[in-house]
Amino acid sequence: MRVRVPEFRGAAHDERVTVRIGLWLGVSFGICFLTGLLSHFAQRGSYWPSAPADLYRITQGVHVVSGVASVPLLLAKLWSVYPKLFGRPLVRSLPHALERASILVLSGAAFFEVVTGLFNVAQNYVWGFGFVEAHHTVAWVAIGSVLVHVAVKLPVVRRGLSRLDREPAPVLSRRQFLRSTWLATGVAVVATAGATVPALRDVSVLSWRSARGPQGVPVNRTARAAGVTEVDDTWRLTVGMREFSLAELRALPQSTETLPIACVEGWSQSATWTGVPVADLLRLAGVAPGARVRVSSLEERGAYRTSELPGTHSDDPRTLLALRLNGEVLSPDHGYPCRLIAPSRPGVLQTKWVTRLEVA
Amino acid sequence: MRVVLAVLGVAALAWGAWLAVESVSVPALLWFAGGPVVHDAVVAPLVGVVGLAVARFVPERWRAPVAVGAVSSGVLVVLAVPLLWRPYGVPENPGLHDRDYVLGLAVALGVVWVGVLVSGLARPRRRGTSRRR
Repeated sequence: MRVRVPEFRGAAHDERVTVRIGLWLGVSFGICFLTGLLSHFAQRGSYWPSAPADLYRITQGVHVVSGVASVPLLLAKLWSVYPKLFGRPLVRSLPHALERASILVLSGAAFFEVVTGLFNVAQNYVWGFGFVEAHHTVAWVAIGSVLVHVAVKLPVVRRGLSRLDREPAPVLSRRQFLRSTWLATGVAVVATAGATVPALRDVSVLSWRSARGPQGVPVNRTARAAGVTEVDDTWRLTVGMREFSLAELRALPQSTETLPIACVEGWSQSATWTGVPVADLLRLAGVAPGARVRVSSLEERGAYRTSELPGTHSDDPRTLLALRLNGEVLSPDHGYPCRLIAPSRPGVLQTKWVTRLEVA
Repeated sequence: MRVVLAVLGVAALAWGAWLAVESVSVPALLWFAGGPVVHDAVVAPLVGVVGLAVARFVPERWRAPVAVGAVSSGVLVVLAVPLLWRPYGVPENPGLHDRDYVLGLAVALGVVWVGVLVSGLARPRRRGTSRRR
């Protein structure tokens, strides 16, 4: 069967357009990769700073926004080079074959990251594999193939950055195609960024975070979903060798801090938390703050039923075992009787329904 | 410069491949391969057909605004897919994913096309291409 090669006359396919969109895509992918790595370290690494308190909310907000911005940029970039798919002969030489293969890997990795990211922020788990490992692994494949691609195309990039002259075009001129791409990127960001940027909350119709939630803070995992239905008077908090009842915790000196819950999904919400500083509890149990602490939940299942608090956080006076949220006793969905809240910490590690603190 | 970029790139690829050895699975590979296939066979041809239709059927002064509107609409629809298409239902998350996304998408598309209308009407007409009303 002979396939008739389509004819592409649009100015979008001009090399100078490709290079300009490629540069912006490189920037957004680069930012997305670096902030993604930071999130990986914040969750899995041995060190993560506890100050400023908003650090994680900012890096993760930037991660999600740059990922969304990459969607129109990636589509525009691929539309710009789409005619090359029909280039004949299919393979000219070994380097040409390698180049084509590397672009296939690049496009596969780029789509994989963007699509899994978008479905994950929507908590829509349509795939049959673990998101965190896959998203992290393919991020390295994506950034590696981007770097190789830039290395191969560097002469084209230099040539392509020449001036754009005026020219007639069937639909959009080169400049118009570029402006449309920037505009569509802006539309994509404004439509979703309300999840991260409070000022846009009511503007971003496709944000995955609303202004509701018990006690003014959204909940990712409810008490029912976690299987923590009843907490009675027999509940005790174990810290090292000591035990505290809820009444004893309430009788200890309380601190009040304004700290954000900053989720890996990019949404965040500041709230006022009142409770006992973790450092004080550790001292009462004879443990020096600054130790790495394992925090365990009443939750019986789930990947986040325990978390590890780095030394920088266990030593930070703002790290609380919170008993109250925005002036009220914690609701069950926010972790009654007590939950961890630490500055600059991924939301999934702000363990709820805490039952035990121990040196890790 | 090129050599440095290439070496860094190959190193990152090798690290990614090493990580993949432990966690690779058939569904993950299908999702990896699916992106380029769906794009090259469905998304890009659709863009081409829309572009041809705009070039053929839309009067010249409206072409650029309509094209920009179509591109923005496409991006909005793509971003809405994970929020609207949920084969496994919505998890119980108070304060999350509880908007009316159909309405939201409709409002966003409405705003985009009002913008198209305004910018199309505001564009200066070329002499000779249309009669002044």
